[in-house]
Amino acid sequence: MHELGIAESILERVQYESAQRNGVRITKVGVRVGELSGVDPGALAFGFEALVKDTPFESLVLEIDLRKRVQRCATCAREYESSLLFSACPDCGSQDTRCIAGDELDIAFIELEDPPCE
Amino acid sequence: MRIAVEEKVLNENQRLALELRRRFQNHGVFCLNLISAPGSGKTSLLERTLEAMAPDARVAVLTGDIQTENDARRLAGAGFPVKQITTGGTCHLDAKMITKALADWDLSKIDVLFIENVGNLVCPASYDLGEDAKVVLLSVTEGEDKPLKYPGIFLKSELCVINKTDLLPYVQFDLAVARENARKVHPGIEFVEISCTARNGLEEWLAWVYRRQQKAIGAPTL
Repeated sequence: MHELGIAESILERVQYESAQRNGVRITKVGVRVGELSGVDPGALAFGFEALVKDTPFESLVLEIDLRKRVQRCATCAREYESSLLFSACPDCGSQDTRCIAGDELDIAFIELEDPPCE
Repeated sequence: MRIAVEEKVLNENQRLALELRRRFQNHGVFCLNLISAPGSGKTSLLERTLEAMAPDARVAVLTGDIQTENDARRLAGAGFPVKQITTGGTCHLDAKMITKALADWDLSKIDVLFIENVGNLVCPASYDLGEDAKVVLLSVTEGEDKPLKYPGIFLKSELCVINKTDLLPYVQFDLAVARENARKVHPGIEFVEISCTARNGLEEWLAWVYRRQQKAIGAPTL
């Protein structure tokens, strides 16, 4: 259960980005969570909600983009979405494949409140 | 308005881990990060490992737990530098804790550093500690489906140490199935089977450590 700590790191980043922009309100933060990252998206959302409750960030939306495991075949260079458990290359059947994605834990973007109309 | 950030959530940990890795490389320190569920035998394996070392071996241990200095006490008997990191509730070690723990150690006097993580198969997988390799321990009392239930750590570990093999006659644990399950997650994972109690398989473990160390420091392989 380290999702609360992860949520804290995300919130700290949002606070930093806001401070860099004269305290502009940030409405949404987008994160990518790979299925191999060891982070449970439900627990992350729950921890985040608990963290922002009764703070100036209460309305901040956390958008979680779940990513599948992706393998690249060393034999035929095919890239394919694999299940959580490894599966051989669907094209050539090779077992010699490498995990190239699926353990992401990234902050992808933030969304700022639109400036008031002039 | 959307602004791209594109950074790792654990950016700060990653930064500190890279710094540690650089320091380890500069001082010729080979570092292993041992991860398992609580009670799989990380401390026992380290006890046996330290016992087997020559008295002048330049080996050291950092051991993490939520509470107590018990592990450091157990390991200190061998006479090598051992330091306990108590996380006070945190379920894993992070690079900042390692940096702090190493502050008063002279890395140029260490050749092999073992880090014993907090007993947990989930969270430690997310935190790079600057190690050369992660090693996951699985004991035969835990069931052979653990690699399927906790794939992250088996994917990221180079070696799976299967411990408590002396208990195999008494538990329903199929070694072949356990290996197959780990390979489903990580086809290239290596295995060593040991019993810390019966002192079996330890030479094989020490040979793996030595081989991996040679690879890390760029020595020609025999």
